[in-house]
Amino acid sequence: MMSLATPSAEDQHSGKDPVPPRADCVAESAGGLTFDVTGITETDEAHLVLRARDEETEVRLPLTPVDGGRLRAALPNGVHLPEGRWDVYAQVADGEPRRLVPGLNDLRALVDRSADGERTAVRIPYVTKHGNLSLRSWLRAPHAEAGELRVGERELVVRGRVHGTTLTEQAHAELRGRSESAPVMRAEVSGRDTEFAVTVPYGTLTPDVWDLWLCPTGGSGPAVRVARLLDDIVDKKPIFTYPQVSAETPRGAMAVQASYTADNDLSVTVTAA
Amino acid sequence: MHISFLIHNGYGIGGTIRTTYNLASTLAEHHDVEVVSVFRHREEPVFAPSPKVRLRHLVDIRQGTPGYEGDHPDYRRPAKFFPASEGRYQQYSALTDRRIAEHLASVEADVVVGTRPGLNVHLARQTRRGPLRVGQEHLTLDSHSPQLRHELRGAYPRLDALTTTTEADARAYHTKMRLPGVHVEAVPNPVPAPALSPADGTAKWVVAAGRLAPVKRYDLLIKAFDKVRAERPDWRLRIYGGGKQKDKLRTLIDKLGLYNHVFLMGPASPIEPEWAKGSIGAVTSSLESFGMTIVEAMRCGLPVVSTDCPHGPGEIIDDGVDGRLVKVGSVPAIANGLLELINDDELRLRMADAALRDAERFDPTRIAERYESMFATLTARGGSTAAGRMRGTLHRTRGALLGGAYAVRDAGLSVLRKGHIA
Repeated sequence: MMSLATPSAEDQHSGKDPVPPRADCVAESAGGLTFDVTGITETDEAHLVLRARDEETEVRLPLTPVDGGRLRAALPNGVHLPEGRWDVYAQVADGEPRRLVPGLNDLRALVDRSADGERTAVRIPYVTKHGNLSLRSWLRAPHAEAGELRVGERELVVRGRVHGTTLTEQAHAELRGRSESAPVMRAEVSGRDTEFAVTVPYGTLTPDVWDLWLCPTGGSGPAVRVARLLDDIVDKKPIFTYPQVSAETPRGAMAVQASYTADNDLSVTVTAA
Repeated sequence: MHISFLIHNGYGIGGTIRTTYNLASTLAEHHDVEVVSVFRHREEPVFAPSPKVRLRHLVDIRQGTPGYEGDHPDYRRPAKFFPASEGRYQQYSALTDRRIAEHLASVEADVVVGTRPGLNVHLARQTRRGPLRVGQEHLTLDSHSPQLRHELRGAYPRLDALTTTTEADARAYHTKMRLPGVHVEAVPNPVPAPALSPADGTAKWVVAAGRLAPVKRYDLLIKAFDKVRAERPDWRLRIYGGGKQKDKLRTLIDKLGLYNHVFLMGPASPIEPEWAKGSIGAVTSSLESFGMTIVEAMRCGLPVVSTDCPHGPGEIIDDGVDGRLVKVGSVPAIANGLLELINDDELRLRMADAALRDAERFDPTRIAERYESMFATLTARGGSTAAGRMRGTLHRTRGALLGGAYAVRDAGLSVLRKGHIA
């Protein structure tokens, strides 16, 4: 098998900088990831190091030799990885960790993934704007996965599925405004078992950004942020976009726009039209 | 053999660059290969050829480096030799005229290969006596202006060979240009096998990839998918690529209420892992000078439903065997083509197997072999010696051989074309 004319982060012809180690990343449908690292010539003990962006947390995974002079590390779904962005390094013995550049990320198993179990753990490898390999992780228990949205003339319907819980008769949804003193508004939920549909009527909304939460078992149980996590797309906002609608409300005409946040949570932005 | 490619800018991004590096890297397994880039605007090439390929430049336009030549007075003077009717003319200058001429007058190679019309003109007229002069057409003759065609008509008879990416374009050169003694041959672009396993045909996704440009007619694909959705709401469509049509296509998706089914994914590189997420490829262009994405999708195990547009698709897809050709510009035809493969799992899987097998003929090793044999035949025919060849004699000899040689070659290729050789 040949892989020619591959993108290179470094000039192989100038000989100035060593070629950085490269990782091919393969995802399993259960959510586990395998990293195959090339470009490490040292034979000492090596580790794959995941370093959190915003805190001093590090996760170290052993890199073991496999065929073809590669080193392999596995990040099983069960390894606890707090929610956030993780930069990926390779470290040999006590040496300086070297940032990995992405090779081929085979994430087909993440497309249309269905998680099961109490805890929903999602890890999506991606390429940073500087061309390095990073990992975005989510950890939700329980989790409310957004599926299809229907943007109607008078209401927005969000269909989805809960993981790690089931709906009860008391299930309802909440729209929590981000501005100070914004009320918490209730929205109706229909569905049964794990399938839900939240109906958000435009008439009750005021200008604000409204975050959508689901209370699968009613007010006494947990409130779950409605999010879209179970696929291969690290940043949903530019890809899962929805038409803006103008709605007449008792407070005048409003523009209503459903969208995903930087964390892939679902929100509804309302502005006075 | 020593082979020297001449390319506009080997440090940038583009189909010609990738194709040239794939070919050069493969030829470099057995030959001495260099790629000479007219310009160098950045430190590192975006795509790297194999380390066996030497890469060098003629004009340095890296801002802020000691070698920077963007302030050279001749760099500001318009080119006189590079044809004004060429699309890249504005980037060429008196400086490039001189550097390219000097390069070709002294090039140490057995074969010199040009990769765009303006460079082919340089190559045809300025290569020192000795090396084979091979021009590559990466677009099509029809896409060139009458002025450029006139220019090429004057220069190309001095080439030893001209390659096109399709038989259709080779025919156009045969019929519309008088190129006595020039060996015109269709050699498709090389596409390497992806370094990941092929799609398994179970994902309910149709995938398309290309610039979001009017010629790709993604509006038709989106409209066709509205019909697909009506019958098979469980299938969805991803379109990879960026471009000026994005807002227009977005509006169309929203207008048709397809925002749960059709997704504009943005550019993706490498693209192979994205093909592998789908089960059917889609191409709805009004024109494809070759059809690189079709081959890429097939190499990832996807049968492709494509409009039967000029020039490439019909030469790549064996209709009904490894993919489907549908009427150009027709929304119902595109929708029916997609639904045929969506609704028949067995057919789709059978076509996927055939696509994988048939696309092997585009492997860089196979394409490099075609170039090697072309170079060898031309060298033998020209009787190239250490003393150098007499071009006049060469042309007369080849002119005499012309009729018979073409007849044999055409017969051979029509069989080869669909990969039906046992």
